[in-house]
Amino acid sequence: MKNAFEPDLYELLEIERDASPTELERAYRITRAAWADDSLATYSLFGEDDAAAVRERLDRAYEVLSDPERRARYDASLGGPPPAPDEGVPAPELVERPVAPAQVEPEITGFEGFEDSDDDPYDGARLRRARMRHGIGIDRIAEVTKINPTYLRFLEEEQFDDLPAAVYVRGFVTAYARCVGLDPARVVPPFMERLRAAREPEPGGRPERR
Amino acid sequence: VAGGKGGVGKTFLSANLGVVLARAGRRVVAVDTDLEGANLHTWLGVPHPSASLSDYVAGREPDLTRLALETPVPGLRLVAATHSHLATPQPDAERRVELLLALRRLPCDYVVVDCGAGAHAATVDYFLSGDESLIVMHPEPTSVENAYGFLRAAFFRCMEVAMRKDEVRARVREAMDQRNTRGIRTPGDLLREVEAMDPEEGRRFVETMRRFAPRIVVNEVESAEDVKLGFQVRLVCRRFFGVEADYLGYVNRDDAVREAVLARRPLLDVRPQSDAAIYVRRIARKLLEGGR
Repeated sequence: MKNAFEPDLYELLEIERDASPTELERAYRITRAAWADDSLATYSLFGEDDAAAVRERLDRAYEVLSDPERRARYDASLGGPPPAPDEGVPAPELVERPVAPAQVEPEITGFEGFEDSDDDPYDGARLRRARMRHGIGIDRIAEVTKINPTYLRFLEEEQFDDLPAAVYVRGFVTAYARCVGLDPARVVPPFMERLRAAREPEPGGRPERR
Repeated sequence: VAGGKGGVGKTFLSANLGVVLARAGRRVVAVDTDLEGANLHTWLGVPHPSASLSDYVAGREPDLTRLALETPVPGLRLVAATHSHLATPQPDAERRVELLLALRRLPCDYVVVDCGAGAHAATVDYFLSGDESLIVMHPEPTSVENAYGFLRAAFFRCMEVAMRKDEVRARVREAMDQRNTRGIRTPGDLLREVEAMDPEEGRRFVETMRRFAPRIVVNEVESAEDVKLGFQVRLVCRRFFGVEADYLGYVNRDDAVREAVLARRPLLDVRPQSDAAIYVRRIARKLLEGGR
Protein backbone atom coordinates (compact mmCIF):
# COMPACT_ATOMS: atom_id res chain seq x y z
CA MET A 1 0.00 0.00 0.00
CA LYS A 2 1.15 3.49 -0.75
CA ASN A 3 2.04 5.72 2.14
CA ALA A 4 0.79 9.29 1.75
CA PHE A 5 3.97 10.56 3.35
CA GLU A 6 6.43 8.67 1.19
CA PRO A 7 5.97 9.89 -2.36
CA ASP A 8 7.40 8.18 -5.40
CA LEU A 9 9.62 10.16 -7.74
CA TYR A 10 6.67 11.43 -9.77
CA GLU A 11 4.78 12.54 -6.70
CA LEU A 12 7.88 14.16 -5.37
CA LEU A 13 7.95 16.39 -8.43
CA GLU A 14 4.17 16.73 -8.53
CA ILE A 15 3.78 15.36 -12.03
CA GLU A 16 1.77 12.63 -13.71
CA ARG A 17 3.32 9.36 -14.76
CA ASP A 18 3.08 10.35 -18.42
CA ALA A 19 4.56 13.84 -17.98
CA SER A 20 6.50 15.11 -20.98
CA PRO A 21 10.13 16.27 -20.68
CA THR A 22 8.92 19.91 -20.74
CA GLU A 23 6.50 19.27 -17.90
CA LEU A 24 9.19 17.47 -15.97
CA GLU A 25 11.57 20.37 -16.45
CA ARG A 26 9.00 22.94 -15.31
CA ALA A 27 7.97 20.88 -12.29
CA TYR A 28 11.58 20.40 -11.28
CA ARG A 29 12.26 24.14 -11.45
CA ILE A 30 9.22 25.02 -9.34
CA THR A 31 9.71 22.37 -6.66
CA ARG A 32 13.44 23.08 -6.50
CA ALA A 33 12.68 26.77 -5.93
CA ALA A 34 10.30 25.89 -3.09
CA TRP A 35 13.18 24.30 -1.20
CA ALA A 36 15.86 26.80 -2.15
CA ASP A 37 17.91 28.34 0.65
CA ASP A 38 16.03 31.62 0.63
CA SER A 39 12.62 30.15 -0.17
CA LEU A 40 9.68 31.93 1.45
CA ALA A 41 7.62 28.78 1.32
CA THR A 42 9.85 26.56 3.40
CA TYR A 43 12.37 28.51 5.42
CA SER A 44 10.26 28.69 8.59
CA LEU A 45 9.41 24.99 8.55
CA PHE A 46 12.68 23.35 7.67
CA GLY A 47 16.21 23.74 8.86
CA GLU A 48 18.91 24.12 6.24
CA ASP A 49 19.81 20.45 6.57
CA ASP A 50 16.22 19.33 6.02
CA ALA A 51 15.86 21.56 2.99
CA ALA A 52 19.16 20.31 1.58
CA ALA A 53 17.99 16.73 2.02
CA VAL A 54 14.79 17.45 0.13
CA ARG A 55 16.73 19.20 -2.64
CA GLU A 56 18.92 16.15 -2.94
CA ARG A 57 15.89 13.91 -3.33
CA LEU A 58 14.46 16.24 -5.95
CA ASP A 59 17.73 16.26 -7.84
CA ARG A 60 17.87 12.49 -7.78
CA ALA A 61 14.25 12.25 -8.96
CA TYR A 62 14.98 14.62 -11.80
CA GLU A 63 18.16 12.78 -12.70
CA VAL A 64 16.30 9.50 -13.03
CA LEU A 65 13.21 10.82 -14.79
CA SER A 66 15.05 13.00 -17.28
CA ASP A 67 16.99 10.00 -18.55
CA PRO A 68 14.65 7.94 -20.78
CA GLU A 69 16.41 4.65 -20.04
CA ARG A 70 16.56 5.10 -16.30
CA ARG A 71 13.00 6.39 -16.33
CA ALA A 72 11.79 3.28 -18.15
CA ARG A 73 13.57 1.07 -15.61
CA TYR A 74 12.09 3.08 -12.75
CA ASP A 75 8.58 2.87 -14.25
CA ALA A 76 8.95 -0.88 -14.50
CA SER A 77 9.98 -1.05 -10.84
CA LEU A 78 6.84 0.88 -9.86
CA GLY A 79 4.58 -1.59 -11.58
CA GLY A 80 1.10 -0.38 -12.44
CA PRO A 81 0.16 0.84 -15.91
CA PRO A 82 2.88 0.79 -18.56
CA PRO A 83 4.41 4.14 -19.49
CA ALA A 84 2.86 6.08 -22.34
CA PRO A 85 4.34 5.25 -25.74
CA ASP A 86 7.31 7.38 -26.65
CA GLU A 87 6.37 10.04 -29.15
CA GLY A 88 9.83 9.96 -30.59
CA VAL A 89 9.53 13.02 -32.81
CA PRO A 90 10.68 16.36 -31.50
CA ALA A 91 7.95 18.92 -30.77
CA PRO A 92 6.80 20.58 -33.99
CA GLU A 93 6.45 23.96 -32.23
CA LEU A 94 9.88 25.07 -33.32
CA VAL A 95 8.88 24.95 -36.95
CA GLU A 96 5.39 26.38 -36.59
CA ARG A 97 6.23 29.31 -34.38
CA PRO A 98 5.93 32.74 -35.96
CA VAL A 99 8.97 34.92 -36.37
CA ALA A 100 10.20 36.40 -33.08
CA PRO A 101 9.10 37.61 -30.67
CA ALA A 102 6.85 34.69 -29.89
CA GLN A 103 4.99 33.72 -26.76
CA VAL A 104 7.23 33.04 -23.81
CA GLU A 105 6.86 29.55 -22.37
CA PRO A 106 4.58 30.04 -19.33
CA GLU A 107 6.16 29.04 -16.02
CA ILE A 108 2.75 28.45 -14.50
CA THR A 109 0.16 26.23 -16.11
CA GLY A 110 -3.12 24.75 -14.99
CA PHE A 111 -4.04 27.71 -12.81
CA GLU A 112 -7.72 28.15 -13.60
CA GLY A 113 -10.11 31.00 -13.15
CA PHE A 114 -7.75 33.95 -13.38
CA GLU A 115 -8.16 34.64 -17.08
CA ASP A 116 -9.21 38.15 -18.04
CA SER A 117 -12.66 38.60 -19.50
CA ASP A 118 -13.66 40.76 -22.45
CA ASP A 119 -15.13 43.38 -20.10
CA ASP A 120 -11.76 44.14 -18.54
CA PRO A 121 -10.03 47.10 -20.13
CA TYR A 122 -7.03 46.49 -22.38
CA ASP A 123 -4.65 48.56 -20.33
CA GLY A 124 -1.21 48.28 -18.80
CA ALA A 125 -2.56 46.44 -15.80
CA ARG A 126 -4.03 43.82 -18.09
CA LEU A 127 -0.65 43.17 -19.65
CA ARG A 128 0.80 42.70 -16.20
CA ARG A 129 -2.04 40.43 -15.11
CA ALA A 130 -1.45 38.18 -18.09
CA ARG A 131 2.26 38.12 -17.33
CA MET A 132 1.72 37.29 -13.66
CA ARG A 133 -0.77 34.56 -14.45
CA HIS A 134 1.90 32.87 -16.54
CA GLY A 135 4.52 33.40 -13.86
CA ILE A 136 6.78 35.29 -16.21
CA GLY A 137 9.18 37.95 -14.90
CA ILE A 138 9.71 41.31 -16.61
CA ASP A 139 13.32 40.35 -17.26
CA ARG A 140 12.27 37.30 -19.22
CA ILE A 141 10.10 39.44 -21.51
CA ALA A 142 12.93 41.93 -21.89
CA GLU A 143 15.22 39.07 -22.87
CA VAL A 144 12.87 37.79 -25.56
CA THR A 145 11.72 41.14 -26.96
CA LYS A 146 15.03 42.98 -26.51
CA ILE A 147 13.02 45.84 -25.05
CA ASN A 148 14.47 47.68 -22.08
CA PRO A 149 12.76 46.35 -18.92
CA THR A 150 12.24 49.90 -17.72
CA TYR A 151 10.03 50.58 -20.75
CA LEU A 152 8.15 47.34 -20.12
CA ARG A 153 7.40 48.56 -16.60
CA PHE A 154 6.28 51.92 -17.97
CA LEU A 155 3.85 50.05 -20.22
CA GLU A 156 2.41 48.16 -17.26
CA GLU A 157 2.20 51.28 -15.13
CA GLU A 158 0.98 53.36 -18.07
CA GLN A 159 3.62 55.99 -17.41
CA PHE A 160 2.94 57.43 -20.82
CA ASP A 161 5.09 60.51 -20.26
CA ASP A 162 8.16 58.37 -19.83
CA LEU A 163 7.62 56.27 -22.94
CA PRO A 164 9.03 57.18 -26.36
CA ALA A 165 7.07 58.17 -29.47
CA ALA A 166 3.83 56.33 -30.22
CA VAL A 167 5.30 54.35 -33.09
CA TYR A 168 7.79 52.72 -30.72
CA VAL A 169 5.19 52.11 -28.06
CA ARG A 170 3.07 50.31 -30.63
CA GLY A 171 5.95 47.95 -31.26
CA PHE A 172 6.53 47.44 -27.54
CA VAL A 173 2.89 46.61 -26.84
CA THR A 174 2.69 44.26 -29.81
CA ALA A 175 5.75 42.33 -28.67
CA TYR A 176 4.69 42.27 -25.02
CA ALA A 177 1.18 41.06 -25.86
CA ARG A 178 2.56 38.16 -27.92
CA CYS A 179 4.90 37.16 -25.11
CA VAL A 180 2.07 36.69 -22.64
CA GLY A 181 -0.28 34.97 -25.08
CA LEU A 182 -2.54 37.95 -25.83
CA ASP A 183 -3.71 38.82 -29.32
CA PRO A 184 -1.99 42.07 -30.39
CA ALA A 185 -4.93 42.91 -32.67
CA ARG A 186 -7.15 43.18 -29.59
CA VAL A 187 -4.65 44.75 -27.23
CA VAL A 188 -2.85 47.34 -29.32
CA PRO A 189 -5.67 49.61 -30.61
CA PRO A 190 -7.28 50.27 -27.19
CA PHE A 191 -3.89 50.64 -25.57
CA MET A 192 -2.76 53.18 -28.18
CA GLU A 193 -6.04 55.01 -27.66
CA ARG A 194 -5.25 55.29 -23.95
CA LEU A 195 -1.82 56.62 -24.80
CA ARG A 196 -3.23 59.17 -27.22
CA ALA A 197 -5.85 60.33 -24.70
CA ALA A 198 -3.24 60.70 -21.99
CA ARG A 199 -0.91 62.72 -24.19
CA GLU A 200 -3.51 64.86 -25.87
CA PRO A 201 -3.79 67.66 -23.32
CA GLU A 202 -0.10 68.42 -23.68
CA PRO A 203 0.30 71.71 -25.51
CA GLY A 204 2.50 71.81 -28.61
CA GLY A 205 1.45 68.38 -29.85
CA ARG A 206 4.88 66.83 -29.44
CA PRO A 207 4.29 63.73 -27.41
CA GLU A 208 7.92 62.65 -27.06
CA ARG A 209 9.83 63.77 -24.05
CA ARG A 210 13.31 63.61 -25.52
CA VAL B 1 -11.05 34.37 6.14
CA ALA B 2 -8.01 34.00 8.37
CA GLY B 3 -4.29 34.49 8.02
CA GLY B 4 -2.37 34.22 11.25
CA LYS B 5 -0.50 37.47 10.85
CA GLY B 6 -2.07 40.90 11.17
CA GLY B 7 -2.20 43.32 8.29
CA VAL B 8 -2.09 40.79 5.48
CA GLY B 9 -5.47 41.75 4.03
CA LYS B 10 -8.00 39.49 5.75
CA THR B 11 -10.42 42.32 6.38
CA PHE B 12 -9.83 43.88 2.98
CA LEU B 13 -10.63 40.57 1.32
CA SER B 14 -13.63 39.77 3.55
CA ALA B 15 -15.19 43.16 2.94
CA ASN B 16 -14.71 43.17 -0.77
CA LEU B 17 -15.68 39.53 -1.29
CA GLY B 18 -18.87 40.42 0.55
CA VAL B 19 -19.43 43.34 -1.83
CA VAL B 20 -18.85 41.23 -4.94
CA LEU B 21 -21.19 38.50 -3.74
CA ALA B 22 -23.89 41.06 -2.89
CA ARG B 23 -23.47 42.75 -6.27
CA ALA B 24 -23.94 39.32 -7.85
CA GLY B 25 -27.40 39.29 -6.31
CA ARG B 26 -26.67 37.15 -3.26
CA ARG B 27 -27.84 38.02 0.23
CA VAL B 28 -24.67 38.37 2.24
CA VAL B 29 -23.80 39.00 5.86
CA ALA B 30 -20.24 39.99 6.64
CA VAL B 31 -19.27 39.19 10.22
CA ASP B 32 -16.37 40.79 12.03
CA THR B 33 -15.07 38.35 14.63
CA ASP B 34 -11.99 40.41 15.39
CA LEU B 35 -13.32 41.63 18.73
CA GLU B 36 -9.98 43.11 19.70
CA GLY B 37 -9.27 44.94 16.50
CA ALA B 38 -12.50 45.52 14.64
CA ASN B 39 -12.10 47.12 11.22
CA LEU B 40 -14.59 45.50 8.90
CA HIS B 41 -17.16 48.29 9.38
CA THR B 42 -14.66 50.86 8.12
CA TRP B 43 -13.88 48.88 4.96
CA LEU B 44 -17.62 48.67 4.32
CA GLY B 45 -18.43 52.32 4.91
CA VAL B 46 -20.34 51.93 8.19
CA PRO B 47 -18.64 54.55 10.36
CA HIS B 48 -20.37 54.01 13.73
CA PRO B 49 -22.04 50.62 14.00
CA SER B 50 -24.97 50.77 16.41
CA ALA B 51 -24.71 47.10 17.36
CA SER B 52 -21.88 44.62 17.73
CA LEU B 53 -21.12 40.93 17.91
CA SER B 54 -19.97 41.58 21.47
CA ASP B 55 -23.61 42.20 22.37
CA TYR B 56 -24.24 38.59 21.39
CA VAL B 57 -21.10 37.27 23.05
CA ALA B 58 -21.96 39.06 26.31
CA GLY B 59 -25.54 37.81 26.16
CA ARG B 60 -27.05 41.29 25.79
CA GLU B 61 -28.67 40.35 22.51
CA PRO B 62 -29.77 36.74 22.02
CA ASP B 63 -30.75 37.18 18.37
CA LEU B 64 -27.77 37.47 16.04
CA THR B 65 -30.01 38.49 13.15
CA ARG B 66 -30.86 41.72 14.94
CA LEU B 67 -27.21 42.68 15.03
CA ALA B 68 -26.89 42.59 11.24
CA LEU B 69 -26.81 46.22 10.14
CA GLU B 70 -27.52 47.65 6.74
CA THR B 71 -24.46 48.81 4.78
CA PRO B 72 -24.25 51.22 1.85
CA VAL B 73 -24.13 48.15 -0.38
CA PRO B 74 -27.58 46.73 -1.18
CA GLY B 75 -27.88 43.08 -0.19
CA LEU B 76 -24.89 43.25 2.16
CA ARG B 77 -25.35 43.44 5.90
CA LEU B 78 -22.76 43.68 8.59
CA VAL B 79 -22.30 42.26 12.06
CA ALA B 80 -19.67 44.61 13.44
CA ALA B 81 -17.29 43.95 16.33
CA THR B 82 -16.93 47.38 17.88
CA HIS B 83 -17.19 48.31 21.59
CA SER B 84 -16.11 44.91 22.72
CA HIS B 85 -15.49 43.77 26.29
CA LEU B 86 -11.71 43.72 26.06
CA ALA B 87 -11.20 41.67 29.21
CA THR B 88 -13.01 38.66 27.69
CA PRO B 89 -13.27 39.46 24.02
CA GLN B 90 -13.91 36.00 22.60
CA PRO B 91 -16.81 33.77 23.65
CA ASP B 92 -16.02 30.68 25.73
CA ALA B 93 -16.21 27.30 24.04
CA GLU B 94 -19.88 26.77 24.79
CA ARG B 95 -20.99 30.19 23.61
CA ARG B 96 -18.80 29.75 20.55
CA VAL B 97 -20.74 26.68 19.47
CA GLU B 98 -23.96 28.67 19.80
CA LEU B 99 -22.46 31.48 17.77
CA LEU B 100 -21.31 29.13 15.01
CA LEU B 101 -24.79 27.62 14.82
CA ALA B 102 -26.38 31.08 14.81
CA LEU B 103 -24.10 32.10 11.93
CA ARG B 104 -25.34 29.11 9.97
CA ARG B 105 -28.94 30.14 10.64
CA LEU B 106 -28.57 33.74 9.47
CA PRO B 107 -31.20 34.37 6.78
CA CYS B 108 -28.87 34.87 3.82
CA ASP B 109 -26.99 33.04 1.06
CA TYR B 110 -23.43 33.74 2.20
CA VAL B 111 -21.80 34.55 5.50
CA VAL B 112 -18.31 35.99 5.20
CA VAL B 113 -16.46 35.68 8.49
CA ASP B 114 -13.50 37.94 9.00
CA CYS B 115 -11.08 36.45 11.53
CA GLY B 116 -8.64 38.36 13.66
CA ALA B 117 -4.88 37.86 13.67
CA GLY B 118 -3.28 35.11 15.70
CA ALA B 119 -4.34 31.52 16.27
CA HIS B 120 -6.67 31.92 19.23
CA ALA B 121 -8.89 28.87 19.74
CA ALA B 122 -11.96 30.92 18.82
CA THR B 123 -10.33 32.20 15.62
CA VAL B 124 -9.37 28.67 14.62
CA ASP B 125 -12.95 27.49 15.26
CA TYR B 126 -14.40 30.24 13.07
CA PHE B 127 -11.95 29.27 10.36
CA LEU B 128 -12.82 25.58 10.58
CA SER B 129 -16.57 26.12 10.67
CA GLY B 130 -16.78 27.56 7.16
CA ASP B 131 -17.69 25.68 4.02
CA GLU B 132 -14.65 27.42 2.58
CA SER B 133 -11.61 28.27 4.67
CA LEU B 134 -9.49 31.01 3.18
CA ILE B 135 -5.99 31.68 4.42
CA VAL B 136 -4.49 35.00 3.37
CA MET B 137 -0.77 35.69 3.30
CA HIS B 138 1.72 38.25 2.11
CA PRO B 139 4.72 37.15 0.07
CA GLU B 140 6.91 37.84 3.11
CA PRO B 141 8.68 35.43 5.47
CA THR B 142 6.86 36.65 8.58
CA SER B 143 3.46 36.20 7.02
CA VAL B 144 4.19 32.78 5.53
CA GLU B 145 5.57 31.65 8.87
CA ASN B 146 2.43 32.73 10.71
CA ALA B 147 0.20 31.23 8.05
CA TYR B 148 1.84 27.83 8.58
CA GLY B 149 1.54 28.30 12.33
CA PHE B 150 -2.14 29.00 11.90
CA LEU B 151 -2.70 26.05 9.59
CA ARG B 152 -0.90 23.82 12.03
CA ALA B 153 -3.09 24.99 14.90
CA ALA B 154 -6.19 24.59 12.74
CA PHE B 155 -5.15 21.11 11.66
CA PHE B 156 -4.61 19.83 15.17
CA ARG B 157 -7.79 21.49 16.41
CA CYS B 158 -9.71 19.88 13.57
CA MET B 159 -8.31 16.48 14.62
CA GLU B 160 -9.01 17.03 18.29
CA VAL B 161 -12.67 17.63 17.47
CA ALA B 162 -12.85 14.66 15.08
CA MET B 163 -11.33 12.09 17.43
CA ARG B 164 -13.75 10.27 19.71
CA LYS B 165 -11.61 8.57 22.32
CA ASP B 166 -10.40 10.65 25.21
CA GLU B 167 -6.88 9.25 25.19
CA VAL B 168 -6.51 9.94 21.46
CA ARG B 169 -7.75 13.49 21.92
CA ALA B 170 -5.27 13.92 24.73
CA ARG B 171 -2.49 12.78 22.41
CA VAL B 172 -3.61 15.29 19.77
CA ARG B 173 -3.60 18.07 22.36
CA GLU B 174 -0.11 17.02 23.36
CA ALA B 175 1.01 17.28 19.74
CA MET B 176 -0.29 20.86 19.55
CA ASP B 177 2.58 21.85 21.78
CA GLN B 178 5.36 22.29 19.26
CA ARG B 179 7.91 21.28 21.88
CA ASN B 180 6.12 18.12 22.87
CA THR B 181 8.40 15.46 24.28
CA ARG B 182 7.11 12.69 22.01
CA GLY B 183 8.80 14.21 18.99
CA ILE B 184 5.55 14.70 17.08
CA ARG B 185 6.44 17.31 14.52
CA THR B 186 4.18 16.70 11.59
CA PRO B 187 0.65 15.43 11.07
CA GLY B 188 2.32 12.31 9.66
CA ASP B 189 4.02 11.68 13.00
CA LEU B 190 0.73 12.16 14.79
CA LEU B 191 -1.10 9.85 12.43
CA ARG B 192 1.37 7.05 13.16
CA GLU B 193 0.85 7.56 16.88
CA VAL B 194 -2.93 7.56 16.54
CA GLU B 195 -2.89 4.46 14.33
CA ALA B 196 -0.81 2.66 16.89
CA MET B 197 -3.28 3.61 19.63
CA ASP B 198 -6.44 2.73 17.74
CA PRO B 199 -6.78 1.76 14.07
CA GLU B 200 -10.40 2.95 13.95
CA GLU B 201 -9.37 6.43 15.09
CA GLY B 202 -6.52 6.25 12.59
CA ARG B 203 -9.00 5.80 9.76
CA ARG B 204 -11.06 8.70 11.09
CA PHE B 205 -7.88 10.77 11.18
CA VAL B 206 -7.14 10.11 7.52
CA GLU B 207 -10.76 10.82 6.59
CA THR B 208 -10.68 14.14 8.46
CA MET B 209 -7.35 15.02 6.90
CA ARG B 210 -8.94 14.70 3.46
CA ARG B 211 -11.68 17.13 4.39
CA PHE B 212 -9.27 19.70 5.76
CA ALA B 213 -8.84 21.81 2.64
CA PRO B 214 -7.73 25.39 3.24
CA ARG B 215 -7.66 27.73 0.25
CA ILE B 216 -4.66 29.97 -0.14
CA VAL B 217 -4.80 33.61 -1.18
CA VAL B 218 -1.54 35.52 -1.67
CA ASN B 219 -2.19 39.22 -1.22
CA GLU B 220 -0.14 42.18 -2.45
CA VAL B 221 1.89 40.24 -4.99
CA GLU B 222 4.41 42.32 -6.90
CA SER B 223 6.24 39.83 -9.06
CA ALA B 224 5.81 36.56 -10.90
CA GLU B 225 7.81 34.93 -8.10
CA ASP B 226 5.24 36.15 -5.56
CA VAL B 227 2.51 34.52 -7.63
CA LYS B 228 4.38 31.21 -7.50
CA LEU B 229 4.50 31.31 -3.71
CA GLY B 230 0.95 29.96 -3.58
CA PHE B 231 1.99 26.85 -5.50
CA GLN B 232 4.97 26.32 -3.26
CA VAL B 233 2.92 26.65 -0.10
CA ARG B 234 0.43 24.19 -1.53
CA LEU B 235 3.29 21.82 -2.21
CA VAL B 236 4.61 22.15 1.31
CA CYS B 237 1.14 21.57 2.75
CA ARG B 238 0.89 18.36 0.78
CA ARG B 239 4.34 17.07 1.61
CA PHE B 240 4.76 18.32 5.13
CA PHE B 241 1.21 18.38 6.48
CA GLY B 242 -0.28 15.77 4.16
CA VAL B 243 -2.98 18.33 3.54
CA GLU B 244 -4.57 19.15 0.21
CA ALA B 245 -4.62 22.93 0.21
CA ASP B 246 -5.94 24.76 -2.82
CA TYR B 247 -4.34 27.82 -4.37
CA LEU B 248 -7.42 29.96 -4.76
CA GLY B 249 -5.74 33.06 -6.11
CA TYR B 250 -3.74 36.19 -5.56
CA VAL B 251 -4.27 39.93 -5.46
CA ASN B 252 -1.85 42.38 -6.95
CA ARG B 253 -0.33 45.12 -4.86
CA ASP B 254 -2.33 48.17 -5.82
CA ASP B 255 -2.43 51.75 -4.50
CA ALA B 256 -6.17 51.75 -5.13
CA VAL B 257 -6.59 49.64 -1.97
CA ARG B 258 -5.04 52.36 0.14
CA GLU B 259 -7.19 54.92 -1.59
CA ALA B 260 -10.29 52.91 -0.69
CA VAL B 261 -9.40 52.51 2.97
CA LEU B 262 -8.61 56.22 3.26
CA ALA B 263 -12.02 56.92 1.74
CA ARG B 264 -13.45 54.33 4.22
CA ARG B 265 -15.40 52.68 1.45
CA PRO B 266 -15.22 49.33 -0.35
CA LEU B 267 -12.57 49.12 -3.03
CA LEU B 268 -15.16 47.64 -5.35
CA ASP B 269 -17.10 50.93 -5.14
CA VAL B 270 -14.22 53.39 -5.09
CA ARG B 271 -12.12 51.82 -7.83
CA PRO B 272 -14.12 49.05 -9.49
CA GLN B 273 -11.76 48.85 -12.47
CA SER B 274 -8.57 48.77 -10.42
CA ASP B 275 -6.27 45.80 -10.62
CA ALA B 276 -6.97 44.69 -7.06
CA ALA B 277 -10.74 44.91 -7.62
CA ILE B 278 -10.44 42.74 -10.71
CA TYR B 279 -8.48 40.13 -8.76
CA VAL B 280 -11.02 40.11 -5.93
CA ARG B 281 -13.83 39.56 -8.44
CA ARG B 282 -11.87 36.67 -9.84
CA ILE B 283 -11.48 35.05 -6.45
CA ALA B 284 -15.21 35.53 -5.82
CA ARG B 285 -16.00 33.97 -9.17
CA LYS B 286 -13.94 30.92 -8.32
CA LEU B 287 -15.72 30.60 -4.99
CA LEU B 288 -19.12 30.89 -6.65
CA GLU B 289 -18.26 28.32 -9.26
CA GLY B 290 -17.35 25.99 -6.44
CA GLY B 291 -14.67 24.14 -8.38
CA ARG B 292 -11.12 23.57 -7.27
